[in-house]
Amino acid sequence: MSALLEELPAAAAPAIALRQVGKHFGTQEVLKAISLNVYPGEIVALLGASGCGKSTLLNIISGLLPADNGDIVLQGEAVAQFSQWRQVAYLFQEDRLLPWRTVRQNVNFALENSALSRAERQRRVEAALQLVGMAQVGNKWPHQLSGGMRSRIALARSLVAEPQILLMDEPLSKLDPQTRSAMHDELLRIRQLKNMTVVMVTHDVEEAVILADRIVILQPNPGRIKQFVTVTLPRPRLPTSRDVAEKVRLLRMEV
Amino acid sequence: MHKSRRVLSLIVQRLILLAAFFLLWLLAARNMPAFVLPGPEKTFNALLMLWRNDTLLHDIGVTFSRVFSGFLLATVVGTLAGLALGASRRLAQFFEPLLAVFNTVSSAIWAIFAIIWFGISNATTVFVVFMTSMPLILTNVWQGAQTVERQYVELARSFRMSRVQTLLKIYLPTILPYFFSGARLAFGFGWRVSLVAETLGASDGIGYRLRQAGDLVQTDQVFAWTLLLVSLMLLLEGGLLKPLERRLFRWKSHTQE
Repeated sequence: MSALLEELPAAAAPAIALRQVGKHFGTQEVLKAISLNVYPGEIVALLGASGCGKSTLLNIISGLLPADNGDIVLQGEAVAQFSQWRQVAYLFQEDRLLPWRTVRQNVNFALENSALSRAERQRRVEAALQLVGMAQVGNKWPHQLSGGMRSRIALARSLVAEPQILLMDEPLSKLDPQTRSAMHDELLRIRQLKNMTVVMVTHDVEEAVILADRIVILQPNPGRIKQFVTVTLPRPRLPTSRDVAEKVRLLRMEV
Repeated sequence: MHKSRRVLSLIVQRLILLAAFFLLWLLAARNMPAFVLPGPEKTFNALLMLWRNDTLLHDIGVTFSRVFSGFLLATVVGTLAGLALGASRRLAQFFEPLLAVFNTVSSAIWAIFAIIWFGISNATTVFVVFMTSMPLILTNVWQGAQTVERQYVELARSFRMSRVQTLLKIYLPTILPYFFSGARLAFGFGWRVSLVAETLGASDGIGYRLRQAGDLVQTDQVFAWTLLLVSLMLLLEGGLLKPLERRLFRWKSHTQE
């Protein structure tokens, strides 16, 4: 058991609960009988080769895609009735910054659907940009920024509504290793600060080991859970440390 | 510092071009009879005469109001139709040949039809302007609608934005540059064909005056009108459309700051 899980009361209600979730695309069974609890404050990585349905599963949790069968419960409410979508943020694989908006306007995009006052929005946008270390580029256009900066701004946009659940679909997969490692530190720091529950999709074993409290290994045809792995290594977990390397080596054999 | 020098050099270049043009004109006019090629002086006198004439403002006003009516109508119809075609592939496939027909029929043919249908009236010019500019706007808006990124629509959906919000925040900004370049093109074309339409089917307006001057071999007046029109259009282009476009599409420039 990880240190984090031990701190939780034994009967803590899961932030996300999946029961026997299944999904077909046409005649193809993409997900079969997925059951999974994610507890508040936990980072869970969905790990698997492409085609194992991990992104589909994330889309189902986010409510963007309906499941064919099974129950999805978010913070105690069935997904169909769930109304607190502002507490759930989705970070896409691409940064998806709108090119016709400045950085600040891009972050504000996440709040334009809310009832917050203008002043409150401005305050939050500045705070979110500060949080990811991008306060000084608020007036720039996306095309003027590097890939790493753009990912940080996409992250700021996901965080600006102060979500309790963050869903990530390999948002860092296109970054160079150095920027990626910096983003890992950033994510962990912010997670600590905001006490968010995180579900992330990845095909990178090392990324899963460095970030996750728990790893769910999926296997394809049809997509189903092969194994749960709890990562108990102390943080910070450096990719160069022997323990991390050993864990990655062991897991690679499973995936 | 560097930028101001570049601007200065550009202004000097323009002035040289203008001077060369006038010099050539002056020399050419000297060797030709005035009814074939009136010199600058004669043209300016004609311009002054036009200026003193009461019908000048009326003629310009009438022509502009016809162009704007046709153009506005074309904008509304072209934009709606373009959006509809962009939204439905089946609709687009069905109507595509019609667009090709629109693009091949000459404005002169529309003008002749317009005279048969509407006679000598405002509707004739408005119709010709509409038929010329509408397909241009339609094509561009359609093209713009096809380039809307599904990823951005999905982004809006992930923030639980409504259909109207998505239309305003994703579709509109994507289509706007296409619409704008289409509208600019359409206005230019519409404006030019309006004169053709007026020479055939109007009893006032710039086109009508031009034809009158032509019939009476008042070449200096034809020149004066031409000069006036070119200046007006350049003013509209440089003073309104270009700055507006630059302001609207700042985000596209790669030399910002």
